[in-house]
Amino acid sequence: MIKLENVYKSFGKLEVLKNINLEVTKGEVVCIIGPSGSGKSTLLRCLNHLERITEGRTIIDGELIDEKVKGKDSLKISPKKVALVCAELGMVFQRFNLFPHLTVLENIIEAPLTVKKIAREIVMEEATLLLKKVGLEDKKDEYPSRLSGGQQQRVAIARALAMNPKIMLFDEPTSALDPELVGEVLEVMKQLARDGMTMLVVTHEMGFAREVANRIIFMDQGQIIEDSSPEEIFSNPRQERTKSFLQKIL
Amino acid sequence: MGLQKIITAMPALLQGAGLTILLTLVSIFFGLILGLLLALGRLSKNAFFDRLSQFYIWLFRGTPLLLQIFFIYYALPTFTPITFDALPTAFIALSLNSGAYLAEIIRAAIQSIDKGQMEAAKALGMRYTQAMRRIVIPQSYRRLIPPTGNEFIALLKDSSLVSVIAMTELMRTTSLLSNSSGNAVYYIPCALLYLAMTTIFTFVFSKLEKKYSISE
Ligand SMILES: Nc1ncnc2c1ncn2[C@@H]1O[C@H](COP(=O)(O)OP(=O)(O)OP(=O)(O)O)[C@@H](O)[C@H]1O
Ligand SMILES: [Mg+2]
Repeated sequence: MIKLENVYKSFGKLEVLKNINLEVTKGEVVCIIGPSGSGKSTLLRCLNHLERITEGRTIIDGELIDEKVKGKDSLKISPKKVALVCAELGMVFQRFNLFPHLTVLENIIEAPLTVKKIAREIVMEEATLLLKKVGLEDKKDEYPSRLSGGQQQRVAIARALAMNPKIMLFDEPTSALDPELVGEVLEVMKQLARDGMTMLVVTHEMGFAREVANRIIFMDQGQIIEDSSPEEIFSNPRQERTKSFLQKIL
Repeated sequence: MGLQKIITAMPALLQGAGLTILLTLVSIFFGLILGLLLALGRLSKNAFFDRLSQFYIWLFRGTPLLLQIFFIYYALPTFTPITFDALPTAFIALSLNSGAYLAEIIRAAIQSIDKGQMEAAKALGMRYTQAMRRIVIPQSYRRLIPPTGNEFIALLKDSSLVSVIAMTELMRTTSLLSNSSGNAVYYIPCALLYLAMTTIFTFVFSKLEKKYSISE
């Protein structure tokens, strides 16, 4: 589903991703952990073109969607096609980024209506089901500012799911939440994983990672240091850096 | 004494005030469209559009409105085949001028919207124009209303400048009345009418602002 080949990303002189090779198969849940500034967010953002890589290839669902050879763009597909493929990736942000001028329901139906141009009745039906799924059907006419952080994040998940993505990207979805609200969001994510969604999750919730992830990736200074199963990484990390990071946060 | 004179002159004065309002409304309308295009130019990654907008704003904010009116009315026909009558000149000059000021207002309002909004829109598959039109620009409305209200009031007063090309808006109507009668009393109702207009529109804009602030 996702394949990164020798991906590099720099901001000016700052190299943020260095030689990233990663493959995620259908239905897999992969958690990414690592210290602040290690490039976790940038990695996710390179997948849906919020950032463009500076070297290497990214392939989503068999479609080559970014390619740079020696810093030169050698991508052959049209921007329209890229946008379509990127729409197969749902993204959930740390700070929710709900649209404050739209109600909960309007937030959810906006992209299916304007991007996919699906008929309104169908979109509304889907949105109602999604709101039920995240347990917020009674909030559909509220504005986001009237909701708690946990509720907002659940709306954000529903909004992303409304585009029927094949892959969901989560960038620290619970880091901005009060501790008592973390559980309700993780519960929705666990349900998604059980439903077979392919997920790439940047998180510091080690309990979640241990329980749900098929693989855990440890990143440091723009590199993937370790890529193994939860059992292995928690009980017997291969790398010294992984060990010291885990000791600090567990 | 003068009261009778004022009452007889009232229809003419009100007609002048009507033209003043019309000039202001139309010019703000076209100014907003022009200002939005200029603001998008300033925000565009395309250096050409950015420069072009910058140049326009520099030109129209850096010269007096009075000069712009004279330029369109008198100078343009001398070196181009373009001639405008007084009324189109008034609309064009006021619109072009307010466009430059509104451009900076709109740009600031758009830039004040959280970057995460554009990113969320893009992550949902929206193209730049779609995201701007549906997500970013609507959120800038509320922040746009107070400075646009100020610009509207300023324009309402500045529209008196088109009296120099014989547009009989409120100001010119008043001075014509005084000159022909030799009595300056007409400046009193003129002032009151300007005050009434600015007060009403200030009220309208504050209502608009309230209406758009429900979701925040
Ligand atoms: N748009 C940008 N311009 C310049 N530098 C950037 C930009 N975005 C990120 N960076 C830099 O890239 C590095 C990696 O950032 P990134 O956000 O990917 O880290 P992270 O692992 O997600 O960290 P955190 O846990 O704090 O979210 C940081 O040094 C950051 O300052
Ligand atoms: Mg991050």
